[in-house]
Amino acid sequence: MIIVAALALALYWPLMLWVNAGAAQRSLDNGAELGCTTAIACATQLRNPVLPAPAQLGNSLRAMSVPPLAPTSVPYNTLITAGETVVGLLIASVLGIGLAVALVGSRAFERVTLPWLIASQTVPVIALAPMLAVVLGQYGVQGWLPKALIAAYIAFFPVAVGVAAGLRSPDPMQEDLLTTYRASGWQTFWKLRLPASLPFLFTSLKVAATAALIGSIVAEISTISFSGLGKMLAENSRASDTLALWVIMLYGAGLGIALVAVLGLLERLVTPWRAGQSR
Amino acid sequence: MASRTVALGRGRAGGLPGLGWLALALGLGLLLAAVWNVWNFPLDGVPPGRKGLSLTLIVLGLASGIYGLAILARRMTGVVPALLAALLTLVAVEGLLRAYGVPPGLIPTPTRVATALYNSRTVLLGDARVTFVQEALLGYLAGVGMGILVALAAVRFPFLERGALPYAGLFASIPIVALAPVIVKAFGLEWPSKAIIVAITVFFPVVVNVVRGLQSASPLLLDLMQTYAVTPAASFRLVRVPSALPFLFNALKIGSTLALIGAIVGEFFGTTGQGLGFRIQIEAGRFNLDIVWAAIVIASVLGIAFYGVISWLEMRFTSWHASRRQPG
Repeated sequence: MIIVAALALALYWPLMLWVNAGAAQRSLDNGAELGCTTAIACATQLRNPVLPAPAQLGNSLRAMSVPPLAPTSVPYNTLITAGETVVGLLIASVLGIGLAVALVGSRAFERVTLPWLIASQTVPVIALAPMLAVVLGQYGVQGWLPKALIAAYIAFFPVAVGVAAGLRSPDPMQEDLLTTYRASGWQTFWKLRLPASLPFLFTSLKVAATAALIGSIVAEISTISFSGLGKMLAENSRASDTLALWVIMLYGAGLGIALVAVLGLLERLVTPWRAGQSR
Repeated sequence: MASRTVALGRGRAGGLPGLGWLALALGLGLLLAAVWNVWNFPLDGVPPGRKGLSLTLIVLGLASGIYGLAILARRMTGVVPALLAALLTLVAVEGLLRAYGVPPGLIPTPTRVATALYNSRTVLLGDARVTFVQEALLGYLAGVGMGILVALAAVRFPFLERGALPYAGLFASIPIVALAPVIVKAFGLEWPSKAIIVAITVFFPVVVNVVRGLQSASPLLLDLMQTYAVTPAASFRLVRVPSALPFLFNALKIGSTLALIGAIVGEFFGTTGQGLGFRIQIEAGRFNLDIVWAAIVIASVLGIAFYGVISWLEMRFTSWHASRRQPG
């Protein structure tokens, strides 16, 4: 695994030089002052490279991460976005589990709503985010809350569908066993269905975590926001600061991977009986 | 106990579908009356009396409609109950929005959205063509093609599988929004940059699933092929490819959703003036929310249709698979 990473990095150098050389040649032809004479030499020093040179990326990574808790630094804004996403995921889990219980409880309710839930999975829900941001802003919901709500809205459907499938997953044999024990419907739910749905909850939460992160970033872009990865993305996208965009992308990727990893850890803790099976 | 509940359920389910239809029709009628009652008034000019009447009608209509629907939904399967529920909800929303005089710049009523859909149909269809055909579809095909090739290589060379595949899972959890501006900056504002975003997002699920699928071939069958002295190529075609198909289709379905999301999110970071994502963002900024909703309706219809086509292909090509033979 490490060899492949090293190989990819080694291949990255010539690729970077090759794609940047053209742009460097163009700016040299236009008489730009770059402090270098040949296109290849300039390829690592462009202000807006197509692919940044590792040294450039390292420099801006350091410049944008220090001090870590300044309002303009990326780690601080990553934490803000992480907070919004986690609150969104919590809201989504509570609502999603509630809806799933209702779906499993009533067949009629399921027939009326389930087709729409499934259809909503195939719909680019993210398209709703800019509009939700406007509507929530009109009703005076501002700050981090609208971002968390939009993240929750996007994460809600996968959770509801996943938990509903999980609540139905127990073997009929097991249900019969509980019936022979004269367990009430409530006891069956609490002792059998709910634990059986936990693995499904975590699988869908992992899907939902990435979706919720996208939701909160898009929400930050399309509402008035003063902090967060999305606000930094929008700012630097307008300023065409490619290096900053790369740094933010790295942090965003790290946040996405970290969220999924934390959920995986939680899954091990909450459903230890499955630890041997998964992975 | 179990048998008693079943009997009880069946007894109730058998009862009076006519009553259900009647209650549903009554509910819809009440809701339509509520809408008609406040149809043509300026936003803040709905007289309090009419507003109160409409609200009462909506509550009664919803109660009656839901009661009817609950009776009907116990007997009917398929999409009919869901469609009826949507109809009921839409009419109730129309009535509520009109009774409270909610400005269309905040939440447009369903009829306004339908009007906007019809009036701006040429613009929106042009947007849909750019977003779906050029960006989503081309990117999807490129991503799926690359994904299959890489998966084949990974299965052929175990070194690649052990070395590179763990990264595919990592890359799959990168949020597209963080990736999109970088790619738009690198490849320009035209549609190819969005197609590349789509290709990247579709690529990873395809690789992971196809590798898993190719490896899911039963060793017994592979042994059988060997005893028949079948060539490795034919064995690959006869055993490994069919066992990978369900996994491939799973990835194709995941990808169909991701493709539209990728194209729309990519457009949030700059386009040349066409595309559904561009339209949504620009019109949301201008408070033309009826056009925004119309664009969302089109995106949703495209998303559902895309998913539907792939599910249909899946049924045709993997009808032999266990998950299709047995329900559940």
